[in-house]
Amino acid sequence: MFGKGLLKGLGITLGHVFEKDITVQYPEERPFLQDRYRGCLAFDFPKCIVCGLCIKTCPNNVLSFETAKEEGSKKKKLLSYTIDLQYCLFCNLCVEVCPTNTLYFNKDFELTKFNRDDIKIVYNRPAEMDSVVRGREGDGHEEKTDNPETEAEAKRLKQVEAMKTVLAKNPQKSLAKIFESEEDIAIMANLMSSDDKKLNKMAELMVEDKEKAAKLAQAWVNKDKKDRPKEGGEQE
Amino acid sequence: MENLILNIAHILTSWLVSLGIPALWADLILLILQWTCIVMIITLNVLVLIWLERKVSGFMQLRLGPNRLGPFGCFQTIADTLKLLTKEDIIPAKADKLIFMTAPMFFIIVAVLLYAVIPMGKDMTVVDLNVGLFYFISVGSLSTICILMAGWGSNNKWSLLGAMRSVAQMVSYEIPLAFSLLGIVMIAGSLNLSDIVAAQHKLWFIIMQPVAFVTYFIAATAELNRGPFDMPEAEQELTAGAYTEYTGMRWALFFLAEYTNLVAVSALASTLFLGGWLGPWLPSWIWIIIKTYLVMLVFMWLKWTFPRIRMDHLMSFSWKILIPVSLVNIIITGGGILFFKGMGW
Repeated sequence: MFGKGLLKGLGITLGHVFEKDITVQYPEERPFLQDRYRGCLAFDFPKCIVCGLCIKTCPNNVLSFETAKEEGSKKKKLLSYTIDLQYCLFCNLCVEVCPTNTLYFNKDFELTKFNRDDIKIVYNRPAEMDSVVRGREGDGHEEKTDNPETEAEAKRLKQVEAMKTVLAKNPQKSLAKIFESEEDIAIMANLMSSDDKKLNKMAELMVEDKEKAAKLAQAWVNKDKKDRPKEGGEQE
Repeated sequence: MENLILNIAHILTSWLVSLGIPALWADLILLILQWTCIVMIITLNVLVLIWLERKVSGFMQLRLGPNRLGPFGCFQTIADTLKLLTKEDIIPAKADKLIFMTAPMFFIIVAVLLYAVIPMGKDMTVVDLNVGLFYFISVGSLSTICILMAGWGSNNKWSLLGAMRSVAQMVSYEIPLAFSLLGIVMIAGSLNLSDIVAAQHKLWFIIMQPVAFVTYFIAATAELNRGPFDMPEAEQELTAGAYTEYTGMRWALFFLAEYTNLVAVSALASTLFLGGWLGPWLPSWIWIIIKTYLVMLVFMWLKWTFPRIRMDHLMSFSWKILIPVSLVNIIITGGGILFFKGMGW
């Protein structure tokens, strides 16, 4: 019969009206992602054996690292690992080649960043991996405080010291201006108590430039927040 | 309920007369009020229609359609309209400014003029013309000129191509449109739309003239530049056809006029084939609204089901299939009328 196809098409669209919609209401509902979904390329710092296979295999020079010779041995140690995600084509070659499964794709697909510099993901050597480095840096800082060049510098350093004690003792009050939510303050306080470097930097910036301090602190907290669910995902 | 609107009009006229205004002037004021009401209803109705179209198209494609602004996204079109109202009105430097600027106005005027003869309820026709159907077809075909104006005034080859297509399409589909209505005119014995509605109190014309209904529906879709026949604004080929250069409110006027035409054609379809305002229990003006909306839903259903057909297929379909079919329908109808008259009905 002529026009049979037209009626069939009309039937299909009419049927669709009463079918369930397949839309995922994205920001509220999260899409279901398959196990092998390639989201953000992530790096598990302690697992890395610094073989450099990932860097050799990458077709776009996305990956790079900084290494140093470990004292008294031939072994290299990793100082920082950089994933320049803007050039990544998610080809999976680095993940396949990695012998220790250090590199992996997580399910984070929201990779948009406001600033271009934020696209680069830099993994710095966690402080707890070697306490030696931390100790040395702390010493250096103290030396500086011992030899102030001018009176203004001395005054500034005094202020920094004062800020440090305030930050360490009563983070809730001192950070209230920077953060809006108490949760963030708690995270920040945690970060500072576990890492002297961060505490120093924060105290310095609080004295010099409040805005910069706020930005940096927010960045730290965000990073910490971002890292946490990742760790949770791994344990599952 | 039935006479609610008529009573309001009656009270208004008697009030005006009691104020010492001559009856003629009172009638004139009432006429202006009626037109204002029609324009208001059309404008607000378009807001609903665009929302409905987007919802229906969404459902047909397993999507949700607009759902963010207000319950079921019903304020979406209001936001869109506000956006269009506040947009910059761009007129291309080499456009034929007068034609470019007046085209959307003429288009909307022509679209609104169609409502003069449509019976919107029992005794609720703005102008109860005795050649109402003829008036509808002749005024409806004027919109061709407006689209051509828009295409020519834009001074853009794609706009002009779209306009030429629309002229070719609308002129060739006018003929089956008129022919398909002739059968009804022959049965009802009148061109007056109120009489045609009255003639359907026993049997709707869709049952007596099913072929005419189908040909009318196809021709009307082509006349509206909608659905599978949206050649003049074929997005993939001509961006937006004659509307390419239009922005902001001028573009919105075209959109408004298109939907106004859709309502008019649907209202005519329900008047001619579906018994118009005839219906049990509910007031007559609610019946025509229900029927018009049902016809419009079918128009939307067609639009979101069928892919656009090719220009040459479109023309050959009109000239080689629709016109012969509607002509045969007229002959059969005439024969039937003669036969039944001969039988003494």
